[in-house]
Amino acid sequence: MDKKPSHVRTVVAYIVLIFLTFLCLFFFYILVVNATRNHTQIQKGFSFIPGKSFIPNLKHVLNDANIPVLSGIKNSLIVSSLSAVLATYFSALTAYGLYAYNFKLKKPAFIFIMLILVMPTQVSAMGFINLITKMGMLNTLFPLFLPSIAAPAVFYFMYSYMQSSLPLELVEAARIDGCGEFKTFNRIVIPIMKPALAVQAIFAFVQSWNNYFIPALVISDNTKKTLPILIAALRSADFLKFDMGKVYMLITIAIVPIIIVYIALSKYIVAGVALGGVKE
Amino acid sequence: MAGITFKNVVKTYDNGVTVVPDLNMEIKDKEFVVLVGPSGCGKSTTLRMIAGLESITSGDLFIGDQRMNAVPPKDRNIAMVFQSYALYPHMTVYKNMAFALELAKTPKEEIDKKVHAAAEILGLEPYLDRKPKALSGGQRQRVALGRAMVRNPEVFLLDEPLSNLDAKLRTEMRSQISKLHKQLGTTFVYVTHDQTEAMTMGDRICVMKDGIIQQFDTPQNLYDYPCNLFVAGFIGSPQMNFIDATVEKTGNGFALCFGEAKLNVNNEALAPYVGKTVVCGVRPEDFHAEPQFFGEGNAIDAYIDLDEMMGSESYLYLDYAGQKLVTRVPARYAKKADENIKLAVDVDKIHVFDKNTELVICQ
Repeated sequence: MDKKPSHVRTVVAYIVLIFLTFLCLFFFYILVVNATRNHTQIQKGFSFIPGKSFIPNLKHVLNDANIPVLSGIKNSLIVSSLSAVLATYFSALTAYGLYAYNFKLKKPAFIFIMLILVMPTQVSAMGFINLITKMGMLNTLFPLFLPSIAAPAVFYFMYSYMQSSLPLELVEAARIDGCGEFKTFNRIVIPIMKPALAVQAIFAFVQSWNNYFIPALVISDNTKKTLPILIAALRSADFLKFDMGKVYMLITIAIVPIIIVYIALSKYIVAGVALGGVKE
Repeated sequence: MAGITFKNVVKTYDNGVTVVPDLNMEIKDKEFVVLVGPSGCGKSTTLRMIAGLESITSGDLFIGDQRMNAVPPKDRNIAMVFQSYALYPHMTVYKNMAFALELAKTPKEEIDKKVHAAAEILGLEPYLDRKPKALSGGQRQRVALGRAMVRNPEVFLLDEPLSNLDAKLRTEMRSQISKLHKQLGTTFVYVTHDQTEAMTMGDRICVMKDGIIQQFDTPQNLYDYPCNLFVAGFIGSPQMNFIDATVEKTGNGFALCFGEAKLNVNNEALAPYVGKTVVCGVRPEDFHAEPQFFGEGNAIDAYIDLDEMMGSESYLYLDYAGQKLVTRVPARYAKKADENIKLAVDVDKIHVFDKNTELVICQ
């Protein structure tokens, strides 16, 4: 008698989960299938069966002189990796500064950072472009990753994580062991923060990888363009050159690095890194 | 190796609360000093000031001859064991113990030697490759001790290191720490609220209350000659009995009267108190049921509220002349609850305190 309701619940739960998984993965399936079909096949409508145009599509994408895919991948990788590293490291550092030290302007500093969090990128975009033009960084990759140093959302995540997982006794113990302040951060705090760093690194990487708005404003040189700009360029190609197979192929190429980054970093997202250090 | 000196040290927190109003204390080189007192008495703050984890508002702190007020913790050559252990969770036991030595750029072979030596003393050899989360509470505690040991610090600070352990382990670790002190020959400062730990381990004990040192003396002297009511009540378990008694002048001296008892105390210090009420302190073991102790006026006939049989002796909780008393008598003389018992007070061992100032009058 007891078992029956839980059995039904399990079945319902699985059906819901399978449906959700299907919703998530179906688009990837369409993407991969369409990357193997040519333009006319795609225009005819959807098909579950993969076509035979994978290699031709790939060749078209790689050989298009107007769309420098390889340099696009390289640029995107540089920008996204640096963004992820800068955003996580410096946000953790800021959060640590506000968490572990007591100073007069601690509260105002925290509120200031939170205020920046509510400001949309678009609002400050004009000022930002003005600034980097004056600094001579227009049409370079620097403006795409340097601002990641100040990432209020990542900061807030790190701050909350520290409150729950970083006992200050560990910091004190390190100080007594003869550790300087920076070394304490790098050798004690960073390893304990690994799960939080991994989560935020993935988010920051993906966000930067998909970012179209700022790169489109900053970059004009073809060899410095990132993947989202190239995809957009391909999509807005004129009628005669428009090839859906190519577009799907480029998008497929664009998501591979994200999957790799996710798989590589997700092994650090484990609970209990800080377990056992202090008696709770 | 070095002693520690506090000169007029004041600690006031940012919110204006003064925890330590004016601390003067001298801890000698190689001494084992225990800071003891109820929670919030400033003992941990005092320890953290020695460590450099709390700033000093005013006054001077010396370790050896060097003034330490502005020296950061890492340059003080101290080691500290935290109540919560504070082990680095991402490092193995070996790395935890070697960390400070690595930072000091000690050669690898020497680190290895020192860590293994400490691990052997503490019985941690089999666990060197484990991470803290795979250890039991007692093992973690020993790693924390080991981490402090390997450094040969000038001063060894321990902040309630045993309070998270079970009773059996605590007794075991207590003797281990005492042994360690003898072996290392370093100055130890140990904070606890447990008076048994204080009594058994300390060369000298500093009893604190509200940031003020009440008495700083050897365990035996604290027990035999407490300087005020607080110390008398804090040291000793079960606690000393405090009985309100009136001082009367007798033919050849003074008597402390309560109930039917008239304890003859011939001490001139009582002269100003004739006719007044004082507090008479009697340790539970200074009530005797054995016949040879009975003398003139020192007997009480009390009702037993509760008896606790401890094996060789028995704790009796008495109700006498409206006052609650605890006594500790040999089991064969003890009686059961709801009976009456006749006990003699050992007059030579009583302590008399002023009721207003709470200071000792004579003992």
